[in-house]
Amino acid sequence: MKIIALIAVILAGGMLIYAGQDLPAFGDPESPAYQHPIIEHYITHAETESGVGNIVTALLANYRGYDTLGEVTVIFTAGMTVILLLRRREI
Amino acid sequence: MSGIIEIIFAEFNYWIYVTLMMIGFYAMIAKKNLIKKVIGANIFQTAIFLFYISLAEVKGGTAPILLHGHDGADAAHKAVSEVIYVNPLPHVLILTAIVVAVSTTAVALALIIKIYEEYGSLEEDVILAYRRQLQPEFSEHARQKQEGEQ
Repeated sequence: MKIIALIAVILAGGMLIYAGQDLPAFGDPESPAYQHPIIEHYITHAETESGVGNIVTALLANYRGYDTLGEVTVIFTAGMTVILLLRRREI
Repeated sequence: MSGIIEIIFAEFNYWIYVTLMMIGFYAMIAKKNLIKKVIGANIFQTAIFLFYISLAEVKGGTAPILLHGHDGADAAHKAVSEVIYVNPLPHVLILTAIVVAVSTTAVALALIIKIYEEYGSLEEDVILAYRRQLQPEFSEHARQKQEGEQ
C-alpha cells in the first residue's frame, strides 16, 4: 500500500517538475505575472485611489473588497461549524 | 554541466515547492492516523503558499509598501518610478488562502474530536473495522457478495 502511495507521489512530483520547466525563473522581472499592466496600475495608483501606503492592504480591502467579504463568510461558516460540532448539549 | 546547474538553480523555488507538496501529499494518502493526514494537508497548503509568494518575487525588489510617507500624489509617482516593488497580487491572494487554510484546519480538527469520541481511536483502519462490525453492509466485500446473490 505504501509502495503504491510512493509511486503516485513520485509520478505527481515528476509531472509538476516537468511542467515547472516552462514557468519563469525565480525573480525574473520579465515574467508575464509582473508585466501585466494592472500591476503597474496598482503600484502607482494604490495610494491616491485608496489612501493606504501598503499596497497589499489597499488591494485586500479596496480593489478585492468583495473577495475579502467572501473570506469573512468562510471564517464565519467555519466558526459556526466548529461550535455546532463541539458544543455540549445539556440534557 | 554548469548550464544544467544554472537551469536548476534558476528555478529552485519550484523544486522546493514540489518537494514540500509531495511530502504533504504522501502524508495525506499513506498515513493511517487522521491527525497526520491533517498535518499533511497543511504542509500541502504551505507548499502552494510558497509557490505563489515565490512567483511574486522580482530581482532587487522590495516589499510592496510605499517607501515615502504620505506626501501626496506627485511625490508618490516620483518615488514609485525609482523603487522596484515586488508583485503585490500573489501576496493578497495568499492572505486570503491562509485564512481559508486555517478555517479548513479548524473544521477538520473539530470533526476529528467527534470521531475520537465516537470510535475511541484516530487510526483509520481501526475506525473502518469498527464500522464494518457495526454495519456489515458498509463493507465493500459484503456489498459485492450481496449484489452477487441478487
